[in-house]
Amino acid sequence: MKSSKKINNYRIGVDIGGTFTDATLINSNTGEIFTSKVLTTPLDPSIGFISAVEKILKFKKIQPESMEYVVHATTVATNAIIEGKTAKTAFITTEGFRDMLEIARQIRPSLYDLQFKKPKPLIPRQLCFEVIERMNSKGEIIKPIDKKSIDKIIELLIKNKVDAVAICLLHSYRNPEHEIQLKKAIQIRLPKLMISTSSEVVPEFREYLRASTTVINSSISPIINKYITSISKKLFKYKINAELLVMQSNGGVYTADAAITSPVHMVESGPAAGVVASSVLGKSLGYKNIISFDMGGTTAKAALIRDGKPTVTKDYSVGNFAQTGAGAFGGSSGYPIRTPVIDLVEIGAGGGSIAWVDSGGALRVGPQSSGADPGPACYGLGGTQPTITDANLILGKLDPNYFANEEIILDIDLAEKSIFDNCAKQLGLSVLEVANAIIEIANNAMVNALRLVSVQKGHDPREFIMVGFGGAGPAHVANLAEEVGIQKVLIPKGPGTASALGLLVTDIRMDVSKTLIVRTDTMDLSEVKEGFDSLEVEGRGLHSYNVNVDQKPNILFEKFLEMRYWGQSFELNIQAPDKKIDQNWLTELLESFHLAHESSYGFRVDNDPVEIVNLRLTAVRKISIPKNQELKSNYKNKSIAIKGQRSVYFSEEHKKINTPVYDRSKFSSGLLFSGPAIVEEPDSTSIIPPNWQVEVDLYGNLILQKK
Amino acid sequence: MQTINAIKFEVIRNALIQATEEMAITLRRSAYSTNVKTRQDFSCAFFDSELRCISQAFTQPVHLGSFIKHIPEIVNQYGVENILEGDMILSNDPYGGGVHLNDISLISPVYFKEYLVGYVACLAHHVDVGGGAPASVGAFKEIFQEGVIIPRVKLVKKGKIDKDIFDLILEQIRSKHETSGDIRAQIGSNLTGEKRILEILHKYGLDEFNLYIEEIIKYTERRTKNELSKLPIGKYFAEGFVDNDGFTDKKVILKVEIIIDKNKITFNTSGSDLQRQAPVNSTFAQTFSACAYALRCLMDKDLPVNHGFYKYVNVIAPEGTVTNCVHPAPVVGGWETHVRLNDLIFLALSKSMPDLICAGTKSMQCHSGFGGINEYTGDYYCFLETLAGGYGARSTSDGPDAVQAHGQNTENAPIEETESNYPVQITKYELIPNSEGPGKFRGGLGLRRDYMFTDETTFTILADRDKDGPHGLFGGKKGSVSVYALKRKNKQEITLSSKKTIQLYSGDVISYRTSGGGGFGSPFKRDPIKVLSDYLQQKISYERARNIYGVHIDKSQKLVDYKKTYKLRNLRLN
Repeated sequence: MKSSKKINNYRIGVDIGGTFTDATLINSNTGEIFTSKVLTTPLDPSIGFISAVEKILKFKKIQPESMEYVVHATTVATNAIIEGKTAKTAFITTEGFRDMLEIARQIRPSLYDLQFKKPKPLIPRQLCFEVIERMNSKGEIIKPIDKKSIDKIIELLIKNKVDAVAICLLHSYRNPEHEIQLKKAIQIRLPKLMISTSSEVVPEFREYLRASTTVINSSISPIINKYITSISKKLFKYKINAELLVMQSNGGVYTADAAITSPVHMVESGPAAGVVASSVLGKSLGYKNIISFDMGGTTAKAALIRDGKPTVTKDYSVGNFAQTGAGAFGGSSGYPIRTPVIDLVEIGAGGGSIAWVDSGGALRVGPQSSGADPGPACYGLGGTQPTITDANLILGKLDPNYFANEEIILDIDLAEKSIFDNCAKQLGLSVLEVANAIIEIANNAMVNALRLVSVQKGHDPREFIMVGFGGAGPAHVANLAEEVGIQKVLIPKGPGTASALGLLVTDIRMDVSKTLIVRTDTMDLSEVKEGFDSLEVEGRGLHSYNVNVDQKPNILFEKFLEMRYWGQSFELNIQAPDKKIDQNWLTELLESFHLAHESSYGFRVDNDPVEIVNLRLTAVRKISIPKNQELKSNYKNKSIAIKGQRSVYFSEEHKKINTPVYDRSKFSSGLLFSGPAIVEEPDSTSIIPPNWQVEVDLYGNLILQKK
Repeated sequence: MQTINAIKFEVIRNALIQATEEMAITLRRSAYSTNVKTRQDFSCAFFDSELRCISQAFTQPVHLGSFIKHIPEIVNQYGVENILEGDMILSNDPYGGGVHLNDISLISPVYFKEYLVGYVACLAHHVDVGGGAPASVGAFKEIFQEGVIIPRVKLVKKGKIDKDIFDLILEQIRSKHETSGDIRAQIGSNLTGEKRILEILHKYGLDEFNLYIEEIIKYTERRTKNELSKLPIGKYFAEGFVDNDGFTDKKVILKVEIIIDKNKITFNTSGSDLQRQAPVNSTFAQTFSACAYALRCLMDKDLPVNHGFYKYVNVIAPEGTVTNCVHPAPVVGGWETHVRLNDLIFLALSKSMPDLICAGTKSMQCHSGFGGINEYTGDYYCFLETLAGGYGARSTSDGPDAVQAHGQNTENAPIEETESNYPVQITKYELIPNSEGPGKFRGGLGLRRDYMFTDETTFTILADRDKDGPHGLFGGKKGSVSVYALKRKNKQEITLSSKKTIQLYSGDVISYRTSGGGGFGSPFKRDPIKVLSDYLQQKISYERARNIYGVHIDKSQKLVDYKKTYKLRNLRLN
């Protein structure tokens, strides 16, 4: 086995985005990294997937057999939901409640819009069926499940030729007995059907949220099954026999088999990868408190990492963009899921976001985007609306001849015309002034997103380092950091493909949970202990796949309790004290809860009863993290890296100033220089404002520091 | 003289909105009652030192419109000079500029270096405020029977809760655990708001803060004027009614005239019925809220709602009528009158702006409240929720099924949460087929919710629409009427009035069946494919498709029979 271990020393990560499919290869012994980029193939994304892999292996002349494992991040699941291309799915619930999905939460997504639309249920009413049965809130059977009604439903499933079934019966989080019976009965008659039960997918109370999560899981499972199978086949054909792993929304990866049965866990697969990349990179350099900032063509994503861990939320809706200023409860559009998702805020601010003047005479940016087609005005592809990219070009921040791997040559005249026609004329300002205002307003929206994940959660940004990546991130990150009060910024090498790298350095994580709903003043501590014991067994079981990664997987457990004051509805996630579960353990736990409540809401009520709602456990199989590769370079002199000068507008100077342009490929570690400066590399441009200085670290990362 | 910087303007404007949104998050997440924590029956706002509303969290429009009348009243009556740093004032007084007693407001001044810069305030609908029936939504003849009246009291002094006052209020209330939790959540919400407003002040200083607040109002004013100038000049009138008053079956007549002039709009409710010794009276703040909401709906979707908008809402509502009642009239059902006014306003405007409005909605709050003593713990429990109905159809789209209407946007109470906490079993929660108001675009379906009690309880219905369904427009038909039914164990089902308190015993079932929305345009002009789709989804019956929409469906093929449809429709049209 020793010899095989030596061969299997490459890992590959593939990240499929809207425009490009990125592959990143890493040598896990040396830490060397290589990347490739191909166009995404929307009709069958697995084609782009395999060609990105092929491209990189051929280029580096690496044997397909020497692959340790392959990790994948994808938006296939989200896209299927947003585009309404989910599988034909039936919904089965308790008699009397077939309209659970139609009624949803009975609210409107916008308050003052008489023409509003309610999100269309993922399953039409004629495919929602009722089974005769009933449990009460204690999980006791009030009405046994009726065999005849099961048979009737099975006939309807056959008649309607559905591909998947979602089952959510009332109070099944307490007692899954009826869901299990129903699933078994259907499986006997229809063994090929994909069936999800709510007690398996997310055994937590509040029926609509549980049903919605189960329906999403079930309605994308045939699609994910087909997709993953197709990738596996292609990899096999290409002689890559290594295990295929998939990025989850919670920032961990899971096995392809687990992805097929629980696809709901991968809806935010893509954005999560970027956050993980930030956290691992930061950690390897000794930073534990990080704000991750990822800006691409249409959206910007911000997330907070504290003590080396991204924060994770369960209040999430698929297909619902968080717009700052759109209301704290903008979550009523879209489809809610209750599985853990990395807590990130995504806003419609990217290179393609459009600037416009509203009827009150205010300059606005986004949320509309020009997309890739026609794209910003300066692309010369027919777009006439001014965008952030146009503004950056006018300000001298971008080189018209060196943009997006030199795929496009930018036209500055078209950019100026679009700003003049659409904004400058109306506002009575110069084109340059407006271009600068566009950037500041866009930055302002992004600052709000950054505040949502930091200050608004009670975290002081000054304790954080910001990691800026994505194609457009490095151009904005320093200004944003300054606005939010962050002193230090890190721009990784190859910022455009940093997300794909995140895939290769993440642990394999399996989340399991259990609803308890007990008061700490009356409960029996053994309930908690037994609960965690059974979750450990369940979590470990999910890892029991035949993997080459590690012969004897070492599983670590992270334990949390979701707690609240008795009577409240929202829980705080409290880490379990790492000691034997006894009275002392409980005292420590309660104190952590009171403290967390005070810091979140401004008060604590020590004599009110406290309730434990859910036990959560994450079973983690650690992945060895390759060491960072040191920057090898012969270019010791700063001047060698300067490829030219250009005139760039900096808002703090209120004018264009002559600015050196650096070629990042010629940097050596330890290199120090001050802003104003521009750093160019094929997939991104970093802007260093005048009051910042840069140091190139041992590994080639740019460390920006406020002077 | 400082000048306005366009960028700072956007930053400060958004930061002020976010301060109130963060108040809302705190309130919701730390509250105890289902009505606040799950259903979001609350609102938060920031007012400047001149008591002008500057920013609001996007929660319940009904509150926001009345809030801006109530908060200044509270502060003025208590005296600005008597409200010091660290104080919080609590009030629910309908006759001090407020609404119904269930909606309790809490106000905190915000001081920056000894300067009063404004007030943060939140309002929550409390599940019980005492009075004659659990959940405090029962029908009575005087305000005194409706619950505890909190004029204006300093609940928090220098950062400490005044225990005497807190205890005095709680003693009048049945659900002490939940109410005390909700009031603490309101305090937490104000603390959060104050903190965030101060952060903004620290960053920009008092002078800039005031400068930009002024500009925020002016900006909204400019946009409001611009929007007003687009509305068609003229006088528009509609008359309607609330179905009954809770004591008699006599309709409560409502009248509204809307006068649109250049840059000005006035709502006049003169001619509406005199106030009743019954729960249907609306305070001026509630009537104002209806008019403000309606006007806001006619404007650009992203117009910020603050003083610069509200100052353009002119309301004439004669004192002593059901649209501006005087002491000591009961007011708990004032929101029923308020929301019916909304439907009337849109009806009045339908001819002149058909593409902006919608047909009749359920236009009732539709409260369902109950309470009693928990058999095991001995505690008094109370529960309250409001139910959705069908939305009115629009000129280019169907009215959505089962949603809240107009100023009300509260969520439903999850069945599992309700059953875990109260001695009730929800036995049905579903859409009501054939309840839609037919039309070229149809109204939304109403919904049905059945409550079966496992223990003795006192139940109150405070709703409406049991006589008259939501209006259709331009040939569209009315939506269904609502039904409130009681089925005692082993007895026949009977129908109840829409405003009623009743004692229930184990095994009794109360059933709410809410109205469908009104239709828009003739049902004979409805796209047959849409009729087919409704039929396939079992939202309308085969007979209804044929008789009301004139569409013949081939049941076996699941297709429209166009020949027979053509014949049916032609026959009827001629």
